[in-house]
Amino acid sequence: MIIHVKNLLKRYGDLVALDHLSLDIKEGEIFGLLGPNGSGKSTAINCILSLLRFDKGEIEIFGKKMTPDAYESKRNIGIVMQNVAVFNELTVYENIDYFCGLYVHDKSERKRLVEEAIDFVELGNFKKFHPKKLSGGLLRRLNIACGIAHRPKLIILDEPTVAVDPQSRNKILEGIARLNEQGATIVYTSHYMEEVEQLCSRIAILDKGRVIASGTQEELKAMITLGEKITIEAFSINEHELQQLRELSGVLSVQWVEKRLVIKSGKKAGSLEAVLDFLKTHEIGFGRIYSELPTLNDVFLEITGKQLRD
Amino acid sequence: MFMHIFFYRFKCLIRDKQLVFWTLLFPILLGTFFYMAFSNLNDEASFHPIHAAVVPSGNSHYDAPFVDVLRSVSKGKNRLFMMKTAASQAEADRWLKAGKIDGYFSSGETIQLTVNESGLNQSIMKSFVDQYRTSSAAAAQIAKDNPNALQNGLLQDLSDHRSYVKEVSGGGAEPNNVLNYFYTLIAMACLYGSFWGAKEVMDIQADQTERAARVNTAPIHKLKMFIAGSLAALIILFAEILILLAYLRFGLKIDFGPRTGLVVLTALLGSILGISFGAFISAVVKAGEGLKIACLIFVTMAGSFLSGMMYQNMKYIVSQYVPLLSWLNPVNLLTDAFYALYYYDNLYRFALNAGMMCLFIIVFCAGTYLIIRRRRYARL
Repeated sequence: MIIHVKNLLKRYGDLVALDHLSLDIKEGEIFGLLGPNGSGKSTAINCILSLLRFDKGEIEIFGKKMTPDAYESKRNIGIVMQNVAVFNELTVYENIDYFCGLYVHDKSERKRLVEEAIDFVELGNFKKFHPKKLSGGLLRRLNIACGIAHRPKLIILDEPTVAVDPQSRNKILEGIARLNEQGATIVYTSHYMEEVEQLCSRIAILDKGRVIASGTQEELKAMITLGEKITIEAFSINEHELQQLRELSGVLSVQWVEKRLVIKSGKKAGSLEAVLDFLKTHEIGFGRIYSELPTLNDVFLEITGKQLRD
Repeated sequence: MFMHIFFYRFKCLIRDKQLVFWTLLFPILLGTFFYMAFSNLNDEASFHPIHAAVVPSGNSHYDAPFVDVLRSVSKGKNRLFMMKTAASQAEADRWLKAGKIDGYFSSGETIQLTVNESGLNQSIMKSFVDQYRTSSAAAAQIAKDNPNALQNGLLQDLSDHRSYVKEVSGGGAEPNNVLNYFYTLIAMACLYGSFWGAKEVMDIQADQTERAARVNTAPIHKLKMFIAGSLAALIILFAEILILLAYLRFGLKIDFGPRTGLVVLTALLGSILGISFGAFISAVVKAGEGLKIACLIFVTMAGSFLSGMMYQNMKYIVSQYVPLLSWLNPVNLLTDAFYALYYYDNLYRFALNAGMMCLFIIVFCAGTYLIIRRRRYARL
């Protein structure tokens, strides 16, 4: 295991921020920590990095107990903070060189690594720019370069795409995938389920400081009863017909919202056909039909009863 | 590693235009304003020769000795009069009326003084006449009683005026009414160095900035980071204070006395005091950067005011009525150290001030260390 967290308990006064959190992150995976704001993702990361005191629990990184003095472990960790953490007085090159220099002492080696990091985040044309002159997306890329320039084995990214435009977000996600291909283990926290779905090989969903579910996407989706969400543009339907629809085999729920039928069905196949047959039989006019597989938001909704972005 | 951090901290600090303005350009500007505002104070306090005239009577028996005496006191650097000789009383009256002279002497058996108004210059002229009358009467009496005295230098003795009391400073420098303003200015500049110290702490305390949090995840002891950064800050601040001293000394001709080495040492102590003070306040005050800076500005400006920066007598009022405050005010300690170097012939008072500054530095450094040695935080 690259990271082993067991029964981590962290309190802020009466508030329990981490409630006996346990995690195991394997070498080479992209591990996603998914949860709404305030669910304890950043607190967990800060405890893992030995920045925050915690009340109880064990944390091991690279098989060794993590402490502020665990320099050998720290040397192989790269961190990308939630907010951009660079010096406005230094240029792009100097910022990356400064942070890289805290890990790598050899000057020529450092120079090579800094150049590679600049190429990696595609900031070659902005080497001499000061951070204030960079756009939000470029700043985020600089923030990432500062965290990965020393080629760490473990990279922790705490919501690196907050307030980033879609184009820059895609570049960042592609970059993270490349880092993983190059051998780095990635821990990625986010409250954007699409990002986690796109990127992560294994996911832990956090709520109120607890892991409420963990596994691969498929494993997580298999945990819930929802198999398919069908949306049909229907022009007119009465309450009696709605009730009959609800009684169809495999149908979990039916809602009639703004001339749309939203039908949630179980994992058993054939629900869509049964619904369409019903509409034809009862001569209920309908238009376009959409079918969606469950998302991580549905997983979160079914387990906690609330939306991921609440 | 140490040099890597030092080098980049130096770059970060020196490129912070706001800090450079407040710690270097602002004191220089303020010093220039002080110079423009106070440059006349010493001139007004110094003596200017009195514009006077003499109207000879035409009788050389009376005119010659009086005019000789007048000439003797109207030459040299410390002359008493700017003397003119009027052809007639009418001419002297015209000069007096036109304000060209403060008064005129009329020679004769009885020396007469004519003035238009009463004032310091007129009083001096009257004293001069009284003294001349007394001396000439004494000379006449001595010559009558002992005619040989004239050959033994009686007249020279009578005209030889000596001042037996001279105002000098113990440090060997000339007394100066405005120096304290410039000393408080240097002290203020040193204490503004606290901004550098505050910045150093903010950049290594993970609960204060994201940058510091990132630095804390690196495999390096944060005390090493702090020492390297503080050293960079100290070098910059000390260089700024030396530039300020050089500007005051050579640009504005402000005198710091002959003890140049100790003046520079005091500036170094002041720089260390400023950095350590800022680091301590930044470590103690658990609030945003704005509040920390506000605290530093308040303490520095209040300290400067109590040291006499805005009202010179305040320094003496505080020393007299609240002496403890003057020993607890770091700005006053610095001001007083410069003051003692300039005015005192021994170094006792300077040593007391320097000792107190060292004590403050030790307290600030120890306090900062106890707070920042923490490696994990309760909250971020």
